Amino acid sequence: MEIEDDEILQGFIEESLEHLADIENDLLTIEEAGEDIDEDLVNKVFRAAHSIKGGAGFMGLTAIQGLSHSTENVLGMIRSKKLIPTPEIVNVLLMASDQLQSMIEDVQNSNDVDISPHVTSLDAIADGTYTQPPEESEQEVPAEPVTDATPADTAEVVTEEEPQEAASEDTATAVVEAAASPTPATPEITAAPPEKPAPKASPSPTTKTAKPKSAPPTKPETSLRVHVSLLDSLMNLAGELVLSRNQLLQTIGSDDLRNAETVGQRIDLITSELQEAIMLTRMQPIGNVFNKFPRVVRDLAKKLHKTIDLTIVGKDVELDKTIIESINDPLTHLVRNSVDHGIEIPAERKKRGKPENGLVILKAYHEAGQVVIEISDDGKGLDGDALAASAVGKGLITTEQSQAMSDKEKINLIFLPGFSTAAEVTDVSGRGVGMDVVKTNLDQLGGNVEIISEKGNGTTISIKLPLTLAIIPCQIIETGGERYAIPQVNLEELLRIPASQVKKRVERVGDAEVVRLRGTLLPLIRLSDVIGAKRTYFDHREQDIKQDRREKISDRRGKESPLFDDDSSQGFNTAQADDRPRSVLDRRASVSSALNIVVVSNGSMKYGLIVDRLQDSEEIVIKPLGRHLQQCKGYAGATIMGDGRIALILDVSNLARMAHLTSIDGSDRAAEVAQAAEDAVNARKDKQSLLIFQNSRSEHFGVPLNQVERIEKIKRSDIEALGGKRVMKYRGGSLSLICVDDVAMVEPLAEDDNLLVIVFNISKRPVGLLAIGPIDALEVTADIDDTTLSQPGIMGSIIINDNTTMLVNVYEMVQNLFPQWFEEQEKFEQDELEDDGPAPTILIAEDSKFFRNQVKNYMTEVGYSVIEAEDGLEGWNKLEEYGDEITMLVTDIEMPNMNGFELTQRIRSDERYSKLPIIALTTLASAEDVAKGKAVGVDEYHIKLDKERLMVSVHDYIKRRF
Amino acid sequence: MTDTKAKNESKKLVELATFYIGDALCGMDILKIQEINKIMQMTKVPQAPEYVLGILNLRGQIVTILDLGKKLGLGETDISQNPRNIIVNSAGGHVGLLVRRISDVVSADMEKKERAPANMNGIQGEYFTGVYKTDDNLIGILDVDKVLSIED
Repeated sequence: MEIEDDEILQGFIEESLEHLADIENDLLTIEEAGEDIDEDLVNKVFRAAHSIKGGAGFMGLTAIQGLSHSTENVLGMIRSKKLIPTPEIVNVLLMASDQLQSMIEDVQNSNDVDISPHVTSLDAIADGTYTQPPEESEQEVPAEPVTDATPADTAEVVTEEEPQEAASEDTATAVVEAAASPTPATPEITAAPPEKPAPKASPSPTTKTAKPKSAPPTKPETSLRVHVSLLDSLMNLAGELVLSRNQLLQTIGSDDLRNAETVGQRIDLITSELQEAIMLTRMQPIGNVFNKFPRVVRDLAKKLHKTIDLTIVGKDVELDKTIIESINDPLTHLVRNSVDHGIEIPAERKKRGKPENGLVILKAYHEAGQVVIEISDDGKGLDGDALAASAVGKGLITTEQSQAMSDKEKINLIFLPGFSTAAEVTDVSGRGVGMDVVKTNLDQLGGNVEIISEKGNGTTISIKLPLTLAIIPCQIIETGGERYAIPQVNLEELLRIPASQVKKRVERVGDAEVVRLRGTLLPLIRLSDVIGAKRTYFDHREQDIKQDRREKISDRRGKESPLFDDDSSQGFNTAQADDRPRSVLDRRASVSSALNIVVVSNGSMKYGLIVDRLQDSEEIVIKPLGRHLQQCKGYAGATIMGDGRIALILDVSNLARMAHLTSIDGSDRAAEVAQAAEDAVNARKDKQSLLIFQNSRSEHFGVPLNQVERIEKIKRSDIEALGGKRVMKYRGGSLSLICVDDVAMVEPLAEDDNLLVIVFNISKRPVGLLAIGPIDALEVTADIDDTTLSQPGIMGSIIINDNTTMLVNVYEMVQNLFPQWFEEQEKFEQDELEDDGPAPTILIAEDSKFFRNQVKNYMTEVGYSVIEAEDGLEGWNKLEEYGDEITMLVTDIEMPNMNGFELTQRIRSDERYSKLPIIALTTLASAEDVAKGKAVGVDEYHIKLDKERLMVSVHDYIKRRF
Repeated sequence: MTDTKAKNESKKLVELATFYIGDALCGMDILKIQEINKIMQMTKVPQAPEYVLGILNLRGQIVTILDLGKKLGLGETDISQNPRNIIVNSAGGHVGLLVRRISDVVSADMEKKERAPANMNGIQGEYFTGVYKTDDNLIGILDVDKVLSIED
């Protein structure tokens, strides 16, 4: 059909689409409200349908008019409360609004679309209220189970059922609810509007095939709504710009330099304001994307027979239009994933003790100049091991690699190209788009994705996105006489290595140059090598030296050379810069061969880019490169600099690939894996956090950090000697002070004026240990020697940084110095034991001899018997051997052969020992570990060397047992 | 009647802007040309195809300049000889064609266009849609789309 007035039509389309977007959400709200309808809302939807009808009638779009008319009828009945909006009815309405939308999007052909199925359903609903008796409903019942049982819908199923349903509907004479029930069966089968063939009052032979396939590709938005006030301010700014231009022209004519400067400033100001205002017009609320998810989730959940609540937070957060548009697909994918793979079916949820309704939360908020979007669900979470196994199965990683991986790394495997977790591809989320595509899409937007998942408890995916893409801050650098821009998001730091240190700090590993940066090796790439003509590079360099020399001469004349200032402020090592004037030779060498390195990263890897010079950082506008340059992968685009020349924008990831750091992906991966392996090895050893301090200048001491309450700095004069004891005022009371040398045979406390007091809490009383600095907290994995230097107050020694460090046993010291503090407790212990006749036996599984002895001492001190085991396996064997004699297990977590988790698991799965109390000891109880322990059946967690708490809980369990 | 005849005739007449690539006189429909300039302040693009001379800032737009001499296999155009950029509007934005020298605008009757020879002054015939003979010259009519296409 020909529609004459394009502008009016366009207006109609835009308006109608807006109405429809609202209708969808409003309908969902209406559905939720059920019987207590919100009249205003229904009215709103009614009016929307009405205006679409009106517009369509005016434009001669009969099909649209007809459908909206029927919709309006049903809405009218809901409004007048003649009809209760059941989910079934709402479903039909939603389908109709979908159909309306697709027709409006393709207005030219809308009149050829067959709307009769929708109209019939709607009319059936409308008529149904009046006359129809309920008999027919029974006939439909068999139809529904069939469709439900075959979620993997096939076309045959649909068409076979259709006649029956349609027929029943035609003659349908049920009360509304009953009459409506057949209709939803169809929507559940296909997302596309179902075609209802022949047996209709108004047969429609034409459309059988066309509709589902002809969904027109969604057009990108061509128009945008802008707030009038924003438009006004733009207009004002434009006006000011014109005025300034006039002023500028006048000034140029009059040759007045000072005035020109003022005008220049003014234009500068206006331009930035204008830029900001125009950026604002591009900002759109993320709600535009979020709003479609209630429907997506609802339909999907229905299809999958799940019940899911969707919570949306932060609809008002604004993002650049381009980002909003491109975030749609990845987000949809993620939400579908959550619904399909994340949330379990209600029965399973019930079994796991979760509420039957799954929860999906979609959240957007600002954080540090970026927008964060979070999609979280309370579903089954990701199973890292399953992921790893699958990745191994697909040959993406090796078994060894997978073993060395942390849980987080395993979860991140999901982003590997060629990885798809779903064992069976469902038509819901398995659409051939993997998470890797999601990641790539987001990478392109300059965003990044992170997954946090706990098996059994859900998954949170958080996406960080820049606010806008059009204008980005960049670091400008220069190489080979041309300037290049490096986006600030990729920039980690700037590094300048003076000539004198180049030799020392830049090393060669095979062909690759690397630089040591704070203990890690950073691969180096020469920008000119990667992008320039390879071998002429050295010639270039010579030319550069000439240039450098000239600059150097100017530098010699005035110390305040801009170049030097630049370099030392951006680069580093000001000390070196200061050194330079001392030797002319050095200076010459340094300028020509000092290295300027831009340390860049693209999230997954980091490398250094060697450039000739570093310049300012600037905000630049990205302009695309022509198609002849598309093959140059090293550039993300170009920009125009202040002087009118062009600078290319470097694409950091592709540069690395071009420099054959590609293996970077691999080698980086390898490095990560190696790191993980190392971590794993370290974790196997017992890590202990120690607070290191000194007593005299020559001896080093350490205490377990987790026993320390506070550290106070005091003056020697703060110490008061009262009644033969040292005390000080502390938090309104007095704090007993002790010294290592009070108990242990070590050198006396140094005669310093500035002292430290390390406060412990022993037997529920604070006690302060006097010490001197320097203090340090560190994690050590070295083995503790518990024989050589052991003595009262000292539990052992350990080598830290080449110093033999004595580990102070504060508990023992206090016991020695203030025995009265413990009397009560001991009495209590005695009582307990006397009552119980034979001493309870405690099995201790611990691989470190030191800790085993410590724990054993705690136990034997109070009269328990102890059986020792060096690892989990031995522990298990001992348990088998002694059986019932053992009243309790105290186990370490990290042990060879069988770790504490495995041991616990084995014990718990054996019903003989299912009631055995198990206390796990750990050096640092991370929340993750605790959760894992609890999951396998650990009763309690304690920190190693925290004698008091451990003993209290041991007593507690022993008591409970008898 | 006469009107339509005149219209037909004018339809066949095309204004050809002519220029030299190397020693070859070439022409293209003047309506395809946005402008001709002599801005030579270009930014080199390392790694670009050999025939891309660089990119330049044309009033805020970034325009890729192709050296037609190189593109058509006649060797580099000498920048010092005062060459010109012919800016044409192509599908992917503006593109500049660097030519050695600009010549006249010729009104050519396209009906008299002849098939291009296999080779013309060293340029492969495939780059021409045809040749047009004037009184004293042979103008190769450039197939702009072909020239701008990106092969391999």
